[in-house]
Amino acid sequence: MRAAELAIPCGIAALMVYALFKKVNVYKAFIEGAKEALPELLGILPPLCAMMTGIEVMRASGLMEALCRALSPVTGALGMESELMPLIILRPFSGSAALGLLRETLETCGPDSPVGMAASIIVGSTETVFYTTAVYFGAVGVTKTRHAIPAALIAGAVGTAAGLLLAKLPWGG
Amino acid sequence: MMNFVFVLMIAAGAAAFVISGDGAGALGAMTAGCAKAVELIFSLAGAYIFWMGIMKIAERAGLVKKLARSMEKPLSRLMPGAERAAGPVTLNLAANFFGLGNAATPFGVAAMRELSDGTGRATDNMAMFIALNASAVELLPTAVIAIRTACGSAAPYSVAIPTFIASIASAAAAVVSCRLLARVVR
Repeated sequence: MRAAELAIPCGIAALMVYALFKKVNVYKAFIEGAKEALPELLGILPPLCAMMTGIEVMRASGLMEALCRALSPVTGALGMESELMPLIILRPFSGSAALGLLRETLETCGPDSPVGMAASIIVGSTETVFYTTAVYFGAVGVTKTRHAIPAALIAGAVGTAAGLLLAKLPWGG
Repeated sequence: MMNFVFVLMIAAGAAAFVISGDGAGALGAMTAGCAKAVELIFSLAGAYIFWMGIMKIAERAGLVKKLARSMEKPLSRLMPGAERAAGPVTLNLAANFFGLGNAATPFGVAAMRELSDGTGRATDNMAMFIALNASAVELLPTAVIAIRTACGSAAPYSVAIPTFIASIASAAAAVVSCRLLARVVR
């Protein structure tokens, strides 16, 4: 399965030619997009520092491992690796924590290992549900959120389960 | 919420260090965490900036608007009676599809305004919109790809297709659970 690898360069080339045909200043658009990435990267740095400090303290003190071991009967029954549990728990709360834990998992287990693939797919196919709902409902002053959060969490759980299953298939890693 | 999570992580970790009698290790771990965050930002910045640039070209070429228009019909079925919100809702989902988070948020807020009935209570359509947002359907998970590249993956893009499939499954679950829960939760 090298489909993604072939599709991406072809897609980028096609997009650029199409944009040129549509009279877009492709160069300028790229620069503007790149410029917009900078404040985003800078903005994520402080929360990432906080979360990765927390993660590193938990990891280096041996607490993370103890936690994973304590959760291993549960994760084992679900047929998943215990290393993924902290990531799955923190994912709906914090995007920075998810990115920090993803890095940690990829570093320790390898980015192309089954655990690394599962962690990557899960982070990519889920959202920071609590953050998004707080922003969107807060903006319109809704306090009775009814079934919005449960439904969003169910969607996240299904995305996570699908990610765990799909990671077991060979994707050409 | 994050306040509590952060304190719990540091305090529990510090306690574990104290119990094992390694105070110096605790301080080292704390500063190492920050250093790792800085390193991570630097190592993923290249791939991230590249994809933001590419996605901006897609936006300028009118692809976000095109996708939004093609989604209007199926979405009006999911959100009955929300014709006025169709524009911002589809633009939000389309911008998210291209990974343009900055562009998506204002559309999302506008969509919530159109969907609101002003009572401070979430409407069925609002819940549907939030749940659809939670399934993170994206053309390419650019941040994940950037981290995989930074961690030395031999095939950083190999996750693109399975991630897309997982997101679609998640979106389907969002629609079904919203429909079912809307009848139960008043």
